[in-house]
Amino acid sequence: MARPVQYVGINNEVNGGMTTIGKIIRDAWVFEIIPETQTCEGWNLAGIDALLDKVNIEWDKYGCLFSNLPPEIAERHRRIHDAAIAKAREAGWCGEIETDDEK
Amino acid sequence: MAKQYDAGVKEYRETYWTPEYTPKETDILACFKITPQDGVPREEVAAAVAAESSTGTWTTVWTDLLTDLDYYKGRCYAIEDVPGDDTCFYGFIAYPIDLFEEGSVVNILTSLVGNVFGFKALRALRLEDIRFPVAYVMTCNGPPQGIQVERDILNKYGRPLLGCTIKPKLGLSAKNYGRACYEGLRGGLDFTKDDENVNSQPFMRWRHRFDFVMEAIHKAEAETGERKGHYLNVTAPTSDEMMRRAEYAKEIGAPIIMHDYLTGGLSANTQLAQWCQDNGMLLHIHRAMHAVLDRNPHHGIHFRVLTKILRLSGGDHLHSGTVVGKLEGDREATLGWIDTMRDSYVKEDRSRGLFFDQDWGSMPGVIPVASGGIHVWHMPALVNIFGDDSCLQFGGGTLGHPWGNAAGAAANRVAVEACVEARNMGRELEKEGKDILKAAAKHSPELGAAMETWKEIRFEFDTVDKLDVSHK
Repeated sequence: MARPVQYVGINNEVNGGMTTIGKIIRDAWVFEIIPETQTCEGWNLAGIDALLDKVNIEWDKYGCLFSNLPPEIAERHRRIHDAAIAKAREAGWCGEIETDDEK
Repeated sequence: MAKQYDAGVKEYRETYWTPEYTPKETDILACFKITPQDGVPREEVAAAVAAESSTGTWTTVWTDLLTDLDYYKGRCYAIEDVPGDDTCFYGFIAYPIDLFEEGSVVNILTSLVGNVFGFKALRALRLEDIRFPVAYVMTCNGPPQGIQVERDILNKYGRPLLGCTIKPKLGLSAKNYGRACYEGLRGGLDFTKDDENVNSQPFMRWRHRFDFVMEAIHKAEAETGERKGHYLNVTAPTSDEMMRRAEYAKEIGAPIIMHDYLTGGLSANTQLAQWCQDNGMLLHIHRAMHAVLDRNPHHGIHFRVLTKILRLSGGDHLHSGTVVGKLEGDREATLGWIDTMRDSYVKEDRSRGLFFDQDWGSMPGVIPVASGGIHVWHMPALVNIFGDDSCLQFGGGTLGHPWGNAAGAAANRVAVEACVEARNMGRELEKEGKDILKAAAKHSPELGAAMETWKEIRFEFDTVDKLDVSHK
């Protein structure tokens, strides 16, 4: 199967968006790198990779940890991620999926 | 007329069944689970196993007269029933120490699990355990550094070490792979790890990976003030290439490298372990392919044997199974080979599948690595079962955290420290685990989110390879 050239968008993702790219987009919303209306549908992988670099730069300011985020960003993180987890659960995602391929 | 000779064939038991024999302290002892073909007497087939795993192939011609067969032969000295299984029995065989080259687990396995496993009189054969006499143990190099030296190198004491396998399932570039390592280490892990099947594929060549990973280690160390490491997998198509990768890992300052000891081969592993000892490097060992050898209850090599072989060949960490979590592992049997990895003297204990006393002399121990299908909810049981001298190795249980890799790592670290603190204060971890974790999560939102993520998971599969005593 050929690799998709364009990203399907976080709203159309597998596992209710609980994927590596989904996390990048949510964190980009948290740090206001892109607006929360931006699902990245139609982006190519280079675009996602560039977004990842920007997200990493922001996380590095806080040692990569939620606990270190200032209140305003922490509140936004909570809101965005809590909603995403709830939505993903409705779509059938659960933590077990994350360890399914382990040997 | 010249004298005629008959090409007579002696029964094996005439030479190799010696129930009157008392094993010497220097003998190498083996316990085989033997499933004979129908109609073959126990003593005959057990003697055949002794013969074909020692001098049996040497004894058919006149050169017998030049070899002291009585000295070199293996002797089947006892036979026992297998609890709950009439199709097979245990055969105990003693081999003289001089039958084997010093310091060579390769030579021992070539005899004990060599041609004999294809012998026609057998339906199946399993090597259950080996007792290595201390005289032989001391000829082997063993773990490069050992548990105490590793703790000193890392400056980490009084708790299990934490690791995470970085999965390349998304075709991670070396750069993104290094980033994932950094996040795990920054979040609180001690180690990250190459997947066992990551060697030097076109999508990520080894040198490129090593460089990015070391950058991640240096950054995480600078920010956390802790020593960090990544198991750089140096497993390679040839031992020369393996050594080249190990040399480079040392050159760039890596504290630990990794080898797949079964697929890579025991000669290569022993060579690498000796090099690690000479060069102050730690060696993490993965057991890929073990289930091919150890999973069938009637045929193959039990993992407790593979454990002993690795301790002799050399390795500082060895994957041991988890007991909890979703992967295979009987609790008592796992505890048996965990003792075999770490302790200096292990008593025979059939309830843990240990058939012999095993004296390791002054040989250092190996850290058991509990890896696969585990997450924060398993932490109380893991700390209770494995104790401090262990490495708890997560994968999805770190990387699957919905807030990302660093959050997953922080959750693991807070959970293990909470469990260790509770244990040190006399609390019962497996009984009070939920309360202990909940209390810790009050000051760690990362742990709280992890507990929400995995709260509904249940693992209720039965193990395939149970201890024989459990059939009683």
